[in-house]
Amino acid sequence: MAAESMSPAADSSSSSSAGGKKRPLPGLGGEEQLSIFENAVTAKDTGDLTDSDESLFSGLEDSGSDSSDGDDDGVEEVGEGDDDSGVEEKNMKKFSKRDVKISEVARKEEGESKGKLAKPDSSVRPEQTVLTAPVDEHEEDTSDEEDIRNTVGNIPMEWYKDYPHIGYDLDGKKIYKPIRNKDELDEFLDKMENPDYWRTIPDKMTGTEIRLSDEQIDLIHRIQKGLYGDAKFNPHEPSIDFFTHETMIHPVTNHPAHKRSFIPSLIEKEKVSKLVNAIKMGWIKPRKPRDDTAHYYDLWAQEDPNAILGRHKMHIPAPKLKLPGHEESYNPPPEYLLTEEERLAWEQQEPEERKLNFLPQKFTSLRAVPAFSRFIHERFERCLDLYLCPRQRKMRVNVDPEDLIPNLPKPKDLQPFPTTQALVYKGHTNLVRCISVSPSGQWLASGSDDCTIRFWEVSTGRCMRTIEVEGIVRSIAWNPNPVHCLVALTVDQSVIIVNPCLGDKLLYNATDQLIASFEKAEEEPVQPVEWTAAEGDSFDKGLRLIIKHNKMVKQVTWHGKGDYLATVIPDNGNAQVLIHQLSKRRSQNPFRKNKGMVQCVLFHPIRPYFFVATQRYVRVYNLLKQELTKKLMANCKWVSSMAIHPGGDNVICGSYDSRLAWFDLDLSTKPYKMLRHHKKAIRGVAFHKHYPLFASASDDGTVIVCHGMVYSDLLQNPLIVPVKLLRGHEISRDLGVLDVTFHPTQPWLFSSGADCTIRLFT
Amino acid sequence: MFSATATAVFGDCAFGSLGQWLAEGLIGLARRSTVVAVTVTWCWRFCDSTEAGRQCAGADSAAPPSNMAQVQARFYTEDRRYELDDIPFSVPASSEVDDLSKVINKLLDAKHANHKHTDFDFLIKDQFLRLALGKHMEVENISTEEVVEIEYVERYSAPQPEECLFHDDWVSAVEAQGEWILTGSYDKIAHIWTLDGRPLMALSGHTEVVKDIAWIRKVGSCNLLLSASQDQSVILWEWNSEKNKVKALHCCRGHAASVESIAVDNTKTKFCSGSWDKMIKIWSTVPNEDEEMAEESESRPRKKQKTEQLGLTRTPMMTLSGHNEAVSSVLWSDTEELCSASWDHTIKIWDAETGAQKCTLSGSKVFNCITYSPLCKRLASGSTDRHIRLWDPRSKDGSLVLLSLTSHNGWVTAVKWSPTHENQLISGSFDKLVKLWDVRSCKAPLYDMNAHEDRVLCVDWTENGLLLSGGADNKLFSFRYLTPTSGDGA
Repeated sequence: MAAESMSPAADSSSSSSAGGKKRPLPGLGGEEQLSIFENAVTAKDTGDLTDSDESLFSGLEDSGSDSSDGDDDGVEEVGEGDDDSGVEEKNMKKFSKRDVKISEVARKEEGESKGKLAKPDSSVRPEQTVLTAPVDEHEEDTSDEEDIRNTVGNIPMEWYKDYPHIGYDLDGKKIYKPIRNKDELDEFLDKMENPDYWRTIPDKMTGTEIRLSDEQIDLIHRIQKGLYGDAKFNPHEPSIDFFTHETMIHPVTNHPAHKRSFIPSLIEKEKVSKLVNAIKMGWIKPRKPRDDTAHYYDLWAQEDPNAILGRHKMHIPAPKLKLPGHEESYNPPPEYLLTEEERLAWEQQEPEERKLNFLPQKFTSLRAVPAFSRFIHERFERCLDLYLCPRQRKMRVNVDPEDLIPNLPKPKDLQPFPTTQALVYKGHTNLVRCISVSPSGQWLASGSDDCTIRFWEVSTGRCMRTIEVEGIVRSIAWNPNPVHCLVALTVDQSVIIVNPCLGDKLLYNATDQLIASFEKAEEEPVQPVEWTAAEGDSFDKGLRLIIKHNKMVKQVTWHGKGDYLATVIPDNGNAQVLIHQLSKRRSQNPFRKNKGMVQCVLFHPIRPYFFVATQRYVRVYNLLKQELTKKLMANCKWVSSMAIHPGGDNVICGSYDSRLAWFDLDLSTKPYKMLRHHKKAIRGVAFHKHYPLFASASDDGTVIVCHGMVYSDLLQNPLIVPVKLLRGHEISRDLGVLDVTFHPTQPWLFSSGADCTIRLFT
Repeated sequence: MFSATATAVFGDCAFGSLGQWLAEGLIGLARRSTVVAVTVTWCWRFCDSTEAGRQCAGADSAAPPSNMAQVQARFYTEDRRYELDDIPFSVPASSEVDDLSKVINKLLDAKHANHKHTDFDFLIKDQFLRLALGKHMEVENISTEEVVEIEYVERYSAPQPEECLFHDDWVSAVEAQGEWILTGSYDKIAHIWTLDGRPLMALSGHTEVVKDIAWIRKVGSCNLLLSASQDQSVILWEWNSEKNKVKALHCCRGHAASVESIAVDNTKTKFCSGSWDKMIKIWSTVPNEDEEMAEESESRPRKKQKTEQLGLTRTPMMTLSGHNEAVSSVLWSDTEELCSASWDHTIKIWDAETGAQKCTLSGSKVFNCITYSPLCKRLASGSTDRHIRLWDPRSKDGSLVLLSLTSHNGWVTAVKWSPTHENQLISGSFDKLVKLWDVRSCKAPLYDMNAHEDRVLCVDWTENGLLLSGGADNKLFSFRYLTPTSGDGA
C-alpha cells in the first residue's frame, strides 16, 4: 500500500479499508505491510507493544463491526492510553453491557469495606472500578475467582438456610451467619429509627448488612439515569480525527516515493480497457441526460368527484335574482303602468299568484321616490330563496341521440320483401273491402261494395269470374285447406259459401260432392242461424251454402283445417261470435256473454285457441278447456284488425287510432312493440306464411311492410324492422287501403283500396 | 387495296379531281364537327402518298390541332360488301355513331363508285357504341393509348308495323309458322290467322282459357297443332289448311292444374307441358287411332260425348316432378334435354330420356318465361322483376347470370330469341312495351315497340323476320323486321 505517498485525508479511508481486508489473512504477504503499520502506530502509542497486530487494526476501525472478546480487549488497552473517539465508542458499549452487573459490583465493594477479605486488585472507588473494569471483568468472568470471601461458589444461598454457617472461607473454615435476632418489630423500628436504613442492603453471600456509601449511591443513581458511571467522564468531548482532513505540507511518512507510484497501473489499465470495451460493445450505455423540464402533478387527477372532498367542486350557485326591468323603473314607460282594471285584478289576486309583486309606479324624479317599504320583506324572501333553494344537482343525462336509435339491420339486407307495384286488378266499380288469396297462390278473391265478388288470376290480373250477390261484401276468406275449393263471404246478414270452380277440376267437383253429400240429422237441433243449400241459378253462379244470421255479419274466418268457420255479428247481443261447422252444418255460440263489442276473431293456426278482439282487448280462449287463457291489452282505443304469426306465438293488432301493436304471447299481455308509422286508421294487417314479413294497410293510402323475424330461441325477442312504404292506392271518400294480404308462397303483397282496385306489390 | 387505287388515280393525273371531290364531299361533315375535319386532312395526306402520308397521319394524331382528344381506331367488318382497308384512323374521341357512320360511308364512296349510303352501327369489343366514342371507352375501361378495333355493321332498321289482329279477348300465346299465325286467347279459343291478318279458323274446344299453343308440323296440307288450357288439358288438333277443316285428335289429360306452357321438341314427335301443379309432362305428338278409344269409352261412359268431341284421351309418356312451385315455362334445349322455369325461382334442366334433373339455375325472383337460342346456346329468362337474364345452361355452377338486360318497368312476361340472329331477342312486359334487344348492348334495347295499350303477354319471332306480340288489349301486333342475315353480326 502507498500509505506514505498518499495524502493523509485519503489515508484514513484507504487504510481502514485495507485493514478490514487484510486482517483475516495472517499469511506471508501481510507481514511486510504490518511492519509498516507497526511503525505508524508506535509513533503514537504510549506503550504496550506486546499487543497483537490485530489490535492495532481494530483500533483504526471507525465502527465496531467486530465483537470478538479478544479484539475488545485490545481496543480497551489502546484506548487506555490514547483516548480517541473510536475507543470511547467501544467503551460506551462495554458500559451498557456492564449495567446488569452493577449490583454485583456494588456488593463486592460493600463486601470489601465490611468483609474480612479484601480483594487486592479491586479498587474501592467506583471510577477506579470503571477504569480497571477489564481486569475486574476478567476476574468475574472466570467463575472460580469470583468471590474469595465465601468459597461455596455460585449456588442458591437457600441451600444454607438451615445451617448456622453460610459457607467457607479460603481457609476452609465456616463462615457463620451473623446472629439474627431481628424480628419484624425490630425491622420496623430499625426502619423508623435508623436514618441509613434505606442505604442498607443485605449481602446474601455473607448474610451481613452493608451500608452503601455516598459514592456508591451516586453511582447507582447515575447508572439508573443512564449516565456513565464515571462522573468525570465526558462523553461529548470534541473528536479529534486520527488522520486530519486538512492537507498537510509534509507527508506522514518520509519514505521516498516508490517506483510503482510513477508507472501507470496495469490493473487500472486493464480495468479501463474493460470499460472501454464494454462501452464499445454497447454494454454500458451513457447515462441519460436528466430531463430538466419541470414536472407538474395534477393533485386532483385521481380524485373521485363523488368523494367527500370532490363535492366541493360540485358548486351549486345560488339562485339569481331577476334583474330589474322597466317595471321597476321609477319612471316606467306608460305601457308598463297598470291600468285601473289591471290594478284591480292585481289587487284581487293572491299575493303568490301575482306576476309582479309590486305595482309599477311613476315618479316625476328620482328625488320623489320614497323609501322602499317592502325592503325587509324582500330581503327576507331572498333569504328564504337562498335557504330553500334545492341543493341537489340535477343529473343531466348525457346521451348521444344516435345511441338511442336501435341498431336495426338495413332493409336491403332483409330482402325479399315487396317493393314495387307489379299489377293492378281493375274491374270493381266500388271500394274493395276484402281480399283473400287461394292456398295455392294462383287465385285471388275480392269482395266489394258493388255487390260482387271477383276471382282473379294472380299472375296476369285477369278477372276469371264475377259473382253478383245481394249486398255489400264485408269479408271474404278462402278456405285454407287446399283440398277444398271454397270461399266464404259475408253478405249483409248471411254468410255464403261459394265454390269458385277454379283450379283442379277434380278438386272442386269433389268439394261439390262433399257438400251435396250432407244428410240432415234426424232431429233438427236448435240453431242460432239458418243453413240453406243454394239451388238453381245461385248454384250455377257458384253459391253452395247460405248461412243466414239474424243481424249483419261483419267478418268470417276459417279454421286452419277448413271445416270450422267463425263469424262476427257485432250487434247480436250475447251471440256476437258464432262458430259454424261446415261438414255437419251446425252452428254454436261459444260464449255465454260477450264483453264489449267484438271487432274480429281469429283461429290459432296450430293450437285450439281462439282470439276475440273487442275494442280494447284481445281475449284468447282455449277451445278445448273452454276457458279464457289470456287477455291482451291492446293499448289502443279501437282495434280494427288482427293477424297471427304462422308460428302462433305472435299477434299483431291494427287499430283505428293508427297504431299497430305486436304481442308476443309468451312475453306479456302488453304489446311487445307499438308501431305508429301510419298517419291514419289502420284497416288491415297481415302476416306472411313463410317469409318474416307483416304488413299494415291504412286509410292514409299506404301499406307499410315490416320485417318481423320471430326466432325459435325463446330468449331472443322478435326483430321488427319497417322495410317498405308502399304507395299506389288513391284516397277516395277518406278511405285508403282497406285490406291487405300476402301471397302464400311468394314475397308478394295484395292490397285492396277504396279506389276500386286491387294492387299487387312484388 | 385502297392505297393501290389511290396511286393509280394519282398516276392518271386525276388527283386533283379526287381531292376536290373529297373536299366537297366532306365539307358538310366538316361543318358539323371538327371530327371530320381531321379526317379530311388525313384523307388528303393519304391520297398524297401512302407511306409518308401514314406517318404524317400519326404525327397529326399525336399533336391534335384543337383541344379535342383523338383515338386511334381501326375499322373492320365481316360484311364483304362494306369492306375497307385495314388501316388505323385517328378519330376524335367525341365522335358519335352518326359521325363514324358518315366517315365510313365517305370511305366506301371513295372505294366503290356505286356505293349507296348506309347507316352503320359500331361495335367495340362486342359492345355496341351508344355514347360518344371516348366516353364509351372510358366506361368500358378500354385504353385510349392503343389502336381500338371497331367493327361496323349495317344498322338494323327499325321494325315496321304491319298488321293488327283483333281478338275477342286477351291474347295469351302466339306462334307463327310459315304463312300462318296461331294464337291462343282468353276467350278459350285458339285462332289461326294468315300473315296478313285474315282469320282462318277458330279452334274451340277448351272449357277454359287457352294458355299456350304450338305448331307441331305440316305434312302437305295437314297441320298438327297443340293448345294448352287452364282446363288442365292439352288438345292435339289436326287442321287441314286446304279444306280449312279442323279436328281434335287427342285430348291430353293428366295435369291437375292449369297447363301454362307447352313446347314441341326438334323431332316433332314429342312435346312437353308445364303446369301449375308443379309437374312437367312429356307426351307423344304422333296421332294414333284406336287403342285408347276402347278403354276410354269403357271407363268414362258418361262423358263419352265430350271425349268424342275433343278426340281421344291421351296420357303422358313421362312426368317430371321436382319444382316446388308452378312451372311457368318449358322448352326443349336439345333433342333429349328440356328446360323449365318455375315460380320457385329456379330454372331446371332435365334429361328427357331418363327424367332426371341435370342442373338447376337459381334466381331470386319468379320466372315467367324462358327462351333458348341454339345459335348462341344461351337461355334468356324473364322474371317478375324488370330484368331479362341470360344464362348458360351448360355451366356447372348453377347460379350464374351471364348478363342482365334492364330497361323494362314491369314484369317481363315473354322473351324470344331471334331464330336467325344469335345476339338478338325480343321481350314483352307488363309495361306495355315490346323491346328488341341486342345482347351486345345490354344497357338499352335496340328498339321499343310501343303499340300495345295494355300488358303484353306473348311474343314470337318468326324465321322470315316477323315480330309478333299479343297482349291484354285483345290485339296481336305484327312487325316486319328486316333481320340482318345470321352471319352478319357474328
